[in-house]
Amino acid sequence: MSAVQELLKRRPTTLRVLSASGQLGYGIPHQAFAAGLARKPDFIGCDMGSVDPGPAYLGSGDMATSPAVTRGDLAAVLLAARSLNIPLIIGTAGTSGAAPHLDATLAMIRSIAAEHKLHFRLASIRADLKAERVIQALDTNTLIPLGGDLSVTAEDLKASTHIVGQMGCAPFEQALALDPDVIIAGRACDTAVFASIPKMLGFDMANVMHMSKIIECTSICCEPGGRDAMLATLNADGFELESMNPDRRATPLSVAAHSLYEQADPVSFTEPDGTLKVDTATYRALDDRRTYVSGATWQDATHTTIKVEASMLLGHRAVLLAGTADPKVIQRLPELIATVESTTRALVPGDYQIYPRLYGIDGVYPQQERNVSGSIRESFILIEVIAQTPELALAAAKTFKQFLLHQGFSGRQCTGGNLAFPFTPPELAAGKAYRFSAYHVMPAADHRELFPVTIETL
Amino acid sequence: MTKLQDLATVIRSKNAGPLTLSLDLMFPSEESYQMALRSSALTAEAIGRLYNTATEKISITSYDAARAIKIAMPRKIVSGSPGDRDVYGAQQHVPLLGLEL
Repeated sequence: MSAVQELLKRRPTTLRVLSASGQLGYGIPHQAFAAGLARKPDFIGCDMGSVDPGPAYLGSGDMATSPAVTRGDLAAVLLAARSLNIPLIIGTAGTSGAAPHLDATLAMIRSIAAEHKLHFRLASIRADLKAERVIQALDTNTLIPLGGDLSVTAEDLKASTHIVGQMGCAPFEQALALDPDVIIAGRACDTAVFASIPKMLGFDMANVMHMSKIIECTSICCEPGGRDAMLATLNADGFELESMNPDRRATPLSVAAHSLYEQADPVSFTEPDGTLKVDTATYRALDDRRTYVSGATWQDATHTTIKVEASMLLGHRAVLLAGTADPKVIQRLPELIATVESTTRALVPGDYQIYPRLYGIDGVYPQQERNVSGSIRESFILIEVIAQTPELALAAAKTFKQFLLHQGFSGRQCTGGNLAFPFTPPELAAGKAYRFSAYHVMPAADHRELFPVTIETL
Repeated sequence: MTKLQDLATVIRSKNAGPLTLSLDLMFPSEESYQMALRSSALTAEAIGRLYNTATEKISITSYDAARAIKIAMPRKIVSGSPGDRDVYGAQQHVPLLGLEL
């Protein structure tokens, strides 16, 4: 009997949900995870990705995490779920949840299964969208940027290396209907990873979604926050939250505060399946490290919408890294950078962009005028070049380096050189440069069909 | 006058998706929270001036259960696009620190 069938047969009225990781692949703190397993959870959920690390991973198909650490984390959750015969659900496989990320994650799962002679039913859900499907939405003016200004064209969508949709619960419900032990999904809402099983079992959706929203980040909702496994115990009226690290306290204030995290609106969350509102929720301390939550509201969506994410190649990046501590160089740095940029453009022809960031001056905050205050002791200079070929990007960075090193100015005493290089070469090829080409929402009446499910027996 | 950094327990920034910057302020007591809610330094107009962003693009919401104020606005450069200086948006809270309430 599969783990999902087993759970359906038991139909627990109190459901223990173990969130093992908010971003699988950086290492799962062992003690807290083991403590969570000792509490006999009904299923294990893990989020494995995010849009936070920027466009490079969705664009390239690479994972943000190391393959060895990722495989170790996958082995930890897979072996645990199989030994307890409970379902394991992983969402946003391999950082971004596009085909190469999902395939690499599935390959690891199969290899771990072979190594440990595990036999189980593995469901996988793809999240890749065809450019034409998204262009349909664009053409009917129903592709809306999510929260800011990002215009997208049909050409951008066609040129994007990967386009994914963020699935809600419906595709997971299709996968659960195939009696799997393990579900690995491409790009998915963090909530859907944790909500699909309690939804299947008929728990109240307001509590289910509110719980999922909080535990997908494991112990970040605690005081002090951290990455340790988090246990939620769901019943008919609400849910209880407890970190599996005894030093992390889930307090009414820390849990309530979590609803602000990485959200534009702290009280209302729109998901593909509906809208969660937490303004009516209550948070009650059970003791100094457990909180009971209830009272949120849920409204089923009348029209399903999904988030669309796409990334496209811009070119190739090279970077120059250097420091300076000479007060006269620092004082004139903005001007020296501008002069050397002109020299570089004159000597290295071609189409490229140069983005200087002068740490100590305006590395983090761009300024209208680059005012250099007298108190700066050192400055770090990061010169980024993006060109159509890696050779051109590196050529511009090399010339920039040499001319900035020796650029003269009146009153200069440091005629040996303006820069301190931390190592050589100080100019490095930094791989391909990508940008988000879409971060939009579109109507998806075809929510189920967009995310195909396959099942295999290992 | 009280500086925000002397009143709030949390002053943080983070992306809410690659197009949106969100700023969270959390307060240690009901009194400090109410003081911040009433402050003319925390209106959409004032925040707009501080972040060089049009008033109508700034949203400010409060969540009493967390004694927290949320400010959201569009990022000037999409996360990770050329010229970006803060991919996660985690260091965009600094202009708020010295704000006089």
